[in-house]
Amino acid sequence: MKLRLALSAFFLVSTVFAQDGGGLTASEPTGPSKPTPRTADGHPDLGGFWKGDRKTKPVGNIGKDLPGFKLPLTPAGQAALQFNLTKTIDPESLCIPGGIPRHNASGLPFMVLQTPKYVAFLYFYTYYRLIPVDGRKHSDDPDPSFFGEEIGRWEGDTLVIDSIAFKDEKVWIDENANPHSDKLHVVERWSRPDADHIHVETLIEDPKFYTKPFTYQRTWVAGPSGQVLGEYACSENNIDRDHLGPGPGDILPDGTRGYADIDPLPPPIKPATPPKH
Amino acid sequence: MKLRLAVFVAGASLLAAIPALAHHSFSAEFDGHKPVRLVGALTKVEWTNPHSYFYLDVKDDKGNVVNWGCEAGGPLALSRAGMKRGDLKIGDTIVVDGYLAKDGSHLIDARRVTLPDGRNVYGGSPGDGGPSDTSAAASKK
Amino acid sequence: MKRFAVTLILLIPALALAQGDGGRRQSGPVPTGPAPRATNGHPDLTSYWRDDGNANPHGNLGKDYPGFKLPFTPAGEAAHKYNLEHTIDPESLCLPGGLPREDIGDMGFQLIQSGADTIFIYQYGTFRDVPTDGRKHAEDPDPTYFGEEIGTWDGDTLVIDSTAFKDSKTWADENADPHSDALHTVERWTRPDAGHLHLELTVEDPKFYKEPIHYQRTWIAATAQHTREQACSENNIDVSAGHLGFGPGPIRADGTRGYDNPDPLPPPPTKANPAKTILPANYH
Repeated sequence: MKLRLALSAFFLVSTVFAQDGGGLTASEPTGPSKPTPRTADGHPDLGGFWKGDRKTKPVGNIGKDLPGFKLPLTPAGQAALQFNLTKTIDPESLCIPGGIPRHNASGLPFMVLQTPKYVAFLYFYTYYRLIPVDGRKHSDDPDPSFFGEEIGRWEGDTLVIDSIAFKDEKVWIDENANPHSDKLHVVERWSRPDADHIHVETLIEDPKFYTKPFTYQRTWVAGPSGQVLGEYACSENNIDRDHLGPGPGDILPDGTRGYADIDPLPPPIKPATPPKH
Repeated sequence: MKLRLAVFVAGASLLAAIPALAHHSFSAEFDGHKPVRLVGALTKVEWTNPHSYFYLDVKDDKGNVVNWGCEAGGPLALSRAGMKRGDLKIGDTIVVDGYLAKDGSHLIDARRVTLPDGRNVYGGSPGDGGPSDTSAAASKK
Repeated sequence: MKRFAVTLILLIPALALAQGDGGRRQSGPVPTGPAPRATNGHPDLTSYWRDDGNANPHGNLGKDYPGFKLPFTPAGEAAHKYNLEHTIDPESLCLPGGLPREDIGDMGFQLIQSGADTIFIYQYGTFRDVPTDGRKHAEDPDPTYFGEEIGTWDGDTLVIDSTAFKDSKTWADENADPHSDALHTVERWTRPDAGHLHLELTVEDPKFYKEPIHYQRTWIAATAQHTREQACSENNIDVSAGHLGFGPGPIRADGTRGYDNPDPLPPPPTKANPAKTILPANYH
């Protein structure tokens, strides 16, 4: 488990410094902001390839906007958190969709495609959610799912997505293994303030596990035109499945997770003679 | 003669109506020559993908209780067949007809589920490559 | 007797509805008139597309060939035999069906065309993203299940050229027909009218097939449907508990696959004949 975490941490660190051309995070564009593109029916077009920026800290923590990142857990929520930390393997490692709101807090990029009837969010591990925006209401007794039953509507220039009916097993609400129950209700308000940014205000309510609703807000930066998600077949060779232990690794004071203290690798082997240039 | 023709027509149309696409093949896992009927009390329901599972405590004729698993379609397939997850409660007695797993485990492929209210529901998934229940609708009265 | 026959005939539409994707009433009215156009002038292929019921035998790459016989090379014959006898259906392992299998399947799919992206969303959460921004194939793309897909518009036809395919844990169709890493597919998609989507598919695989294979079919627009979340890995007991064996089931003379002559189930229980547990002989 420790090795996998170390490798994941290395991967994340290296992508933070990756070039914007193909990397998974982006730096702020320079120059004056460009106007929000609109679709033929007059709505802002949320479509694009969206990458995390360097300002979002800590990544992967749904309590990022709360003082000390402390989530308002009920006693049942505390117990569920302990259970997740000690007894559950990261569902995404088992090739189960992280769902919402986990994907909103993730460090990985995503795509949006917008049509008059549906808005599609496409995620890095080849998961997706399809949000109808045709005025329908929630159904009477939706089957629980990892993304919930998602209903979208436009309020002026804001896309509001209301989601209920969430699964309560094999779910983490964020990368830190924080919990959610089947009573989760998420309301997202998506906007595109200018061409290079997409923004979400996420309201999270879960009366079983959290004493009060709380919010998570975030802005992503547009990737270069033409960047697309590659195919990701999680189950192709998931050897980790039989080796992984529970939990996300140590939760660190900065609100991220991983490893607290590792022994260094041996120093690099120096060549016997200096390489010719 | 008329009845046989009607059965033939029904059979052929059913084969056309049921997509033969596989999420997996019925016969890669179950034995079409070992039909099974289980009558038992529901101990667990997993309303999941890619399949739902109903677990029953089944008494044999010696009175021994064995827990059996019944593999049915995922939630989307079962909803379309007319079953909702609220239709089943732990402790309910249900009847599940299907075919035995080839590997000897206490597992059947649920082709027909008879609910406590007497309704029969087709338990398969579209495209699982398995036999359809030709009498599900006939007993809906 | 007569009532039984009538009941059976009434059964067909009921079961067609119960089967989901084939159900006409659940799909919404089929749109008529010319194909809609996107703002860039190309036909807009966006819709949920359901099987039209005519691509028979279903799930068979060789459906348009005499006797459904594919032009195998000796290596191709051997690879097909290997798939039938030694491989578990990759889709049961929660892998993408990829190409050409997803074109040959029966479950509907969602097509979303927006700007220079055309997305095909399949069942079980799989999707592919086809760019149409004029890019060319890369020098040495990593192999994938859908291949490296490059889209271009040829008049009103969307042409998708795909190369760089995986060569293991992949079936070319539902009958476990094989493909190698030399696979090259060319799809030509058209929307002849608002209600229909048509595909002409060419499959080239010189390792396994002596000549290119042609496959064509049509889908119908289902305006009231959309793909739904199906998390394949949530509870995949068939695989994790090792119940699932190899192959797609016996391939029948009619070109489909599955099972041969199963024994009938017991008749549904009635008040007069209540249910009793029935186990096969010698089973305990």
